[in-house]
Amino acid sequence: MIIDINFVGLIIASIMASAVPLILASCGELITERSGVLNLGVEGMMIIGAISGFALMTVTGSLIIAVFGAMLAGVLISTIFAFLTQTLITNHVATGLALTIFGIGISAMIGKNFVGIPGKEFPVLFESLKDTIPLLSPILFGHSVVFYFAFALPFTTSYFLKKTKIGLIVRAVGDSPESASNQGINVKLVRYACILYGGAMCGLAGAYLSMIYTPQWIENMTGGRGWIALALVVFSTWNPIKILIGAMIFGGLTIIQFHMQAIGVRIPVQFLTALPYIVTIIVLVVISRDSRKIRLSTPSSLGKSFYKDN
Amino acid sequence: MNTNLKISNVTKIYPGCVANDNVSLEFNSGKIYALLGENGAGKSTLVKILSGVIIPDEGKIYLNENNLKLNSPLDAKKNDIGMVFQHFNLFETLSVFENLIIDSDEQREGLREKIDSIMSKYNFSIDLDIPVLNLSAGQKQKVEIIRCLIRSPKVLIMDEPTSVLTEQETSELFLSLKKFSEEGILIIYITHKLKEVMELCDEVAVMRRGKLVSVSEIKNENIETLANKMVGQNLKNIKKKKEKNSSDKLINITNLNFISEDPFETNLSDINFSVNRGECLGIAGISGNGQSELFQVLSGEIISDKNSIEFNKNYIGDLNPQERREYLMAFSPEDRLEQAAIPQMAIFENVALNNYKSSNFFNNGLINENKIKEHSKKIISDFNVNTDNIELKSQFLSGGNLQKLIIGRELITSPDLLICFNPTWGLDVGAINYIHETLIKINEQNKSIILISTDTDELLKLSDKISVIHKGKLSKIMDADEVTSEKLGILMGGGN
Repeated sequence: MIIDINFVGLIIASIMASAVPLILASCGELITERSGVLNLGVEGMMIIGAISGFALMTVTGSLIIAVFGAMLAGVLISTIFAFLTQTLITNHVATGLALTIFGIGISAMIGKNFVGIPGKEFPVLFESLKDTIPLLSPILFGHSVVFYFAFALPFTTSYFLKKTKIGLIVRAVGDSPESASNQGINVKLVRYACILYGGAMCGLAGAYLSMIYTPQWIENMTGGRGWIALALVVFSTWNPIKILIGAMIFGGLTIIQFHMQAIGVRIPVQFLTALPYIVTIIVLVVISRDSRKIRLSTPSSLGKSFYKDN
Repeated sequence: MNTNLKISNVTKIYPGCVANDNVSLEFNSGKIYALLGENGAGKSTLVKILSGVIIPDEGKIYLNENNLKLNSPLDAKKNDIGMVFQHFNLFETLSVFENLIIDSDEQREGLREKIDSIMSKYNFSIDLDIPVLNLSAGQKQKVEIIRCLIRSPKVLIMDEPTSVLTEQETSELFLSLKKFSEEGILIIYITHKLKEVMELCDEVAVMRRGKLVSVSEIKNENIETLANKMVGQNLKNIKKKKEKNSSDKLINITNLNFISEDPFETNLSDINFSVNRGECLGIAGISGNGQSELFQVLSGEIISDKNSIEFNKNYIGDLNPQERREYLMAFSPEDRLEQAAIPQMAIFENVALNNYKSSNFFNNGLINENKIKEHSKKIISDFNVNTDNIELKSQFLSGGNLQKLIIGRELITSPDLLICFNPTWGLDVGAINYIHETLIKINEQNKSIILISTDTDELLKLSDKISVIHKGKLSKIMDADEVTSEKLGILMGGGN
C-alpha cells in the first residue's frame, strides 16, 4: 500500500484544526485559574461565543465583526461570573455550573432562527504556498488566522506567565491573595481581568467552531469540548505547553477513531469514542507526575473566595 | 537624618471590641522600641494601621511632621514604612527573586545587584532562584526583611518576628536589627516575650486591652515589672516541687525506629526511654529534628512495631490514637488549629471528637448533644476557658483559650499519660502560666507527662528528666536538676 505523503500531512493538519478550540479555551481558562479563580463555565462561554459569532456573521456579513463580537460576548458572560464571584463572593463551582447551564440554554434560544443557514467561507492565509513542500505544506499553510493564533498562544501564555511582571502578579494572586493584597496588589482587579480574558478566549474558541471548523449553527455544538478544556488545564498541571500536547493527543485520537470507524475496525464504537478522553488524561497524568512540580504550579488559592476585612 | 514617627489619638473599634482606644505614641530613630502586650492587647492592630492594612476610625499618623494618609499597604511603602508581618506575606510557589521583584519598580539586573549587596552587607545567604516553600522559617523572614530594605525604609516594623525562629536564628535577627538601628532606621518591635524586650530594646510601650498602659526606658524596668504591667496583675511565680519519684514504669519505649518516605521529614533511629508514674520527661531540641515525627509515633498517628511501645504492661505500638486513648493516653499536638481542633466546628463538637468509649457521646449512631454540651461546659469552667458560648466556632478562640480547651478535653478523661508538643507555643504570659500550673498538677496526681518542647526554660521548669533530640536521635536521659540551659544548647546543636 502506498501512502501519499501529502495525505499524511492533511491528516495532521485536520488533527491540529480539531485541537484549536481546546487550545484557545484551555489557555484562557489557565490564566483565570492561575489567578485563583475556578470558572467551570467554559462550556457555556464557548457556546455563547459560537452562537454570537455565527449570528453576527449572518446578520452583518462581516467576519471581523463576528469574530470580535464572539469574543465580546464571552467577555460579557464572564463579567456576570466575575461580578458574582468577586463582588458578591458567591461560590466559584456553583456559579460556574450555572454559567454553563445558562449559556447552553440561551444559545439554543437565540439559535432557533439560525438553524440550517449555511455559513460563510473563512479566508485562509498562505494558500499559494500549499503545494511547495511535501508533507509540511498542508500542515503549515492554508489555515485561518485563528488557527495560527491558537498555536502561538501556549507559547505566548507561557512567556507571559514566566517572564512578564503582570504574569508574575497573576501567579502571586493565585498563590496567596492575602499576601498580594498586603503587598498593595488589587486582587479583585487582577481576578476580574483574568476572568474576562478567559471569557474572551472561550468566546473565540466557540466562534472558531461555528464559523471555521464546521461553518453552521447546531444546537449544543460544542459537545463537551469545554469540559475537556477544563480537564486539560488541570491534568496539564497549569502548564500551557502541556495543554498543547494534551489538545493534540485528544484531537488526534478523535480524528483517528473516526477513520477507524470508517474503515470498519472491529472494536466497539463506544470504546473508540471514549478512547480520546481516557488516553489524553492518562498521558497528561504520566507526564505531570512530579509532585514537587505539581505543588509549584498549582494555584494554592484556586476556587477560594477572597475578601478583605477591614 | 533623624526620623520621627508620631501616632496621635488613634482609635479603632470592631463590633464588640475596642482594639485601639485613643493611643498616642512617639518614636525617634536611633532607638529600638518594643511594643509589648498580650495576645489581643491591640498591638497588632496598631502596627497594621501604621502599615496601611487597617484604616483607623480616628486619629492621625505623622512622619517627620507630615500627616500621612495610609489607606493601603502601598501608601505605607511609599512613605518609607516597611513591615514584616507575623504571618509571612510571601508567595510560596514563586521563587525568592520573583517574590522580591513583584513590588519593585526596578529592572531585573539592577534589583539583583541591589539584593546581592544587601545580602553581603548583613551576612544573609539565600539562594534567590529556589521557590520560597523550600526555605526555613528564618530564611523566609530574611526574605521579608530584604523586601523592606530594598526600599531603604525610614521605619521598620517587626510583628512578633521570633515566634517561628530557633534560638540561633533569633540571635542572628537581633544582630541585624541592631545594625539597622545604628544605620538610622527606626525600629518598632512587637512582641509578648519579655526576655527579648530586655535583650534588644531601648524603650518599651506596654498595651493592655487596646489601651496604652505605660511608656518607659528599658533600664528602668525588669522582667517582673513588665510582666505585671502587661497582665495587669501580679503574676504568681510557679515552681515545681521536685519529689522523689516512684520507680513504677508507665511507658517503656524500646528500639523504636521510623523511616519516612517524605524527604522533608526526619527519620527516627533507635529511640529508647521510659517514663515513671508521676514523672515528666522533657524532650528538648531545635524544631525540625524529629519532634513532630516522635509525637506522631507516640500518639499513634504513625503506627510502629507492636513491641516497641509498652504502656501499662500492654504492647500498643500498632494501635491508632483512638485505641491508645482507651488505654488512658492523651495527646495535645503542636498545631492547635490544624491537628488538635477543627476550626470551623463549634467548641462542643470539637469536644465530642475525642470520644472515648465510656463517654456516651453517641447512642446507636446518634449524637447525644445534651451530654456533650454538659461535658463541654464542665471543661470550660474547670479549665478557665474564657467564653461561655460552647456553640462558638473554635477558630474564634484565642490561642490560649483554645489550648486550655484542648488540654481540658484531654485531661477530663483523667489519663495516665499526657503527651504534649509545644503546649505554650505562641501563647501570652497569663495563658502560659495557667498551662504550666495545670501540667504540674498532673504530676502531683501521680500521672505522667511527655513534654516535647522547643522552649528550654519551659522544659527546665516542668521536667523531672530531660533528653535532647537531634537529627532523630535522643541523647541520654538526664536528671533535670543536673542540667543547665547551656548544656542543653550544646546538645541541641549536636555537640556532646
